[in-house]
Amino acid sequence: MFHNIPTRKRAVATAVAAMVAIAPTLGAASPLSNDPLRLVIPFGPGGGSDITARVLSATAPEFCGPRIDVVSMSGAAGLEAVNFVRNAEPNGHTLLVTDYGPIVTSGYVDDVDWSHDDWQPVMNFTEWLPTVYTRPDHPIQTIEDWVAAAEADPGSITFGHASPLGIVHLPLVLFESATGLENIHVPTSGGGETRSLIMGGHIDLGMTLPASIASEVAAGELTALGVFAAERSAALPDTPTFREAGYDVVLPAWLMIIATSDVPAETVEFLQDCFMEALASPTAVAMSNRVNAGIEPMNSEDSTVLYQATVESIGNILRDIGEID
Amino acid sequence: MLESFIPALYLAFSPEVILYVAIGVFMGVTLGAIPGLSGDMAIAILLPIVFFLEPAAALGLLTGIYKGGMFGGSISAISFGVPGTPGSAATAIDGYQAKLKGYPNKALMTALYSSVIGDTTSDFVLIFLALPLAIVALTFGPIEFFALYAFSLLLISALTKGKVAKGVAMAALGILLAMIGRDPMGGSLRLTFGIPELAGGLALIPVLVGIFAVSELIIQLSKAWMDRVTRIIDDTKQKADSLLGDYDASKDKLTFREFRATMKATWIGTTMGTLIGALPGAGSSLAAFISYGLAQRFSSNGKEFGKGSLEGVAAAEAGNSATSGSTLIPLFAFGIPGSATAALFGAAFILMGMTPGPRLIYDHTEVIYALFLILIYANLINLGLSQFLLPFYSKIAMIKSRILLPIVCVLAILGTFAAGNSVIDVWVLLFAGLLGVVLRVYNFPLAPLILGFIVAPGAERALRQSLLIGRGDWMHLLSSPIAIGLYTVAAIMILTFTLVLREKK
Repeated sequence: MFHNIPTRKRAVATAVAAMVAIAPTLGAASPLSNDPLRLVIPFGPGGGSDITARVLSATAPEFCGPRIDVVSMSGAAGLEAVNFVRNAEPNGHTLLVTDYGPIVTSGYVDDVDWSHDDWQPVMNFTEWLPTVYTRPDHPIQTIEDWVAAAEADPGSITFGHASPLGIVHLPLVLFESATGLENIHVPTSGGGETRSLIMGGHIDLGMTLPASIASEVAAGELTALGVFAAERSAALPDTPTFREAGYDVVLPAWLMIIATSDVPAETVEFLQDCFMEALASPTAVAMSNRVNAGIEPMNSEDSTVLYQATVESIGNILRDIGEID
Repeated sequence: MLESFIPALYLAFSPEVILYVAIGVFMGVTLGAIPGLSGDMAIAILLPIVFFLEPAAALGLLTGIYKGGMFGGSISAISFGVPGTPGSAATAIDGYQAKLKGYPNKALMTALYSSVIGDTTSDFVLIFLALPLAIVALTFGPIEFFALYAFSLLLISALTKGKVAKGVAMAALGILLAMIGRDPMGGSLRLTFGIPELAGGLALIPVLVGIFAVSELIIQLSKAWMDRVTRIIDDTKQKADSLLGDYDASKDKLTFREFRATMKATWIGTTMGTLIGALPGAGSSLAAFISYGLAQRFSSNGKEFGKGSLEGVAAAEAGNSATSGSTLIPLFAFGIPGSATAALFGAAFILMGMTPGPRLIYDHTEVIYALFLILIYANLINLGLSQFLLPFYSKIAMIKSRILLPIVCVLAILGTFAAGNSVIDVWVLLFAGLLGVVLRVYNFPLAPLILGFIVAPGAERALRQSLLIGRGDWMHLLSSPIAIGLYTVAAIMILTFTLVLREKK
């Protein structure tokens, strides 16, 4: 049918045909308006959540309809972002992208006017696996070395981690309450500071996420001791889990898109579908691989199960260490 | 090495990349000149662009913004007494005084030259000395950092001649303000008086812009109002002023003699900025303040500091700009982002599929060599473009205050809001402005307060980390030769200078 049409016209025609083809999936069913979607992250720009959210914002407009903006609000230790999403109109246009810290942990320890039930996961990007690491010339090189050293001289090992009760601190708390070991906890300003303290020989061990140390571990410039997860990390295939070493301590951190629970169910479902479709597209997969984001999307239903399990387990840990009653 | 250098040359000097660098510099200078907005913010907003541009072009754009923003901050610091970026807080001290004396252009030119000299030197250090310097930087742990912070606080507080007590009091007030919010070690809330929005503490930008700028605006406005009242009462004839007042641009040119006289201060700033920039977490404002303090101590015209000294402008501006190359050193050597800017560059590398760290230069030799070239020539573009823009900007500075002040005020509020998307920050800005008015009226120096506020979180963390690692033993703070050295130098400097000053009286 296009045989006689010159190339440029043909291109236009193809484009129009393509738009017509996409249109039904968008137009008729979309519960969204033409206003942009906002993915609000409770952290500063440039971190793992920001980078992951940007993969979605670059690819999803084609599938969801409106433009997608990533908004960074790190004020009030992330609670400002949470409140912003909470107070926005419940039309599915304002969503939170976060790990469990600002929602689950804050919901317990901070003075907030919402409960864990006021939120519903739209989807889950990935699971981050907290990893213990050190420098290669340190006497502690394995989980067994660490346990032996901590038993020989309790409270002698210095352990660096980002903000207290955050996703790279709670696993240590859980590990200590499971084993009865004691370490000196040294809070740092973040992963960068933890790493420079370890490399400079100022502290013994630290915790971070696999993607940020994978290339150094492969090059032999850092040693990863163990991962607090049920299975090994794809980024660190040679690093054992704590479960393998005989300590059943598993506390991965998810990165979810979360809406308030008063957003209509069909809107959540629409968002879930178009986000998952976008993340399955070749562009998104290529981007995810390029930035080492390890995106493995999980739908709303499974994410909700995971969310509720996390609410329960974090609650148990916090009660255990006397943070809450 | 050479075989990748040639393609890198082509990459770095392609017309497209040069254009992106120039656009970046222009954006950076302009955004940096708006109080509250900084180059970092622009880089954060433009990060996704690296998905769509060639790596060299994207890095060129980001580099241009960064360098332009670094200098741009000094434009509003000098023109309105409003540090456009945290790094230029020290520039405001003398720069604004210079403007009030009627020579904004000299101050701006001094700032530009010292900024470019500091930046270029720092870039060469990054290219040729990254690894050795990074290894030295790693020896700075909590103990050494605490000594450095204590050193800088002593230096700046004791600077305010004749009012050392006031200086120390202001530094203490700054530290107190910085303690509002979540305890960085324990996570409990401090001094928030039950206001949930204060949990994250006071943000730097609103405090900085409020104390320096809003207070100045309020004072200027009330002055203008008072003038008007007296004029009406006296019924004096109103002078027909031109829009620019009686500013004479032809008398406001930086001479070579004046430029040469600032060179010592520039080199002090360059050296300190490069060294401090390489330390992960120290930051450009600390570098600027320490450079300013040292330059005053070693200047033969130390008395002029604080009264519009061009040396003061040069030291502060060279100090903050000289961090810009060296702040990337820990990122290149170990993959450690040492500052907010380095973290953003790190994110840009990650978005382009390049992992920051020691392998970066081997895995992506061409792009990194091209980046090195861009870092160097972006300084020249910054110099040329800014030299072209400055005459316009310095005329803006001389627009009559009743027109200028409302605009600056709106920009300050907008910029503050945009920096954190937070309304609370705007309230903090206004309250900080009122505090600034009170402090100015009673003649308290503002610089120690800002330095205290900037340094306190790092100093507290370093102190408490040291005590944790040393199991509560305070002597642990003296267990490092670097720390002992810093304390000794501080003690000697304060002793000598107080004695010397006494004799002069």
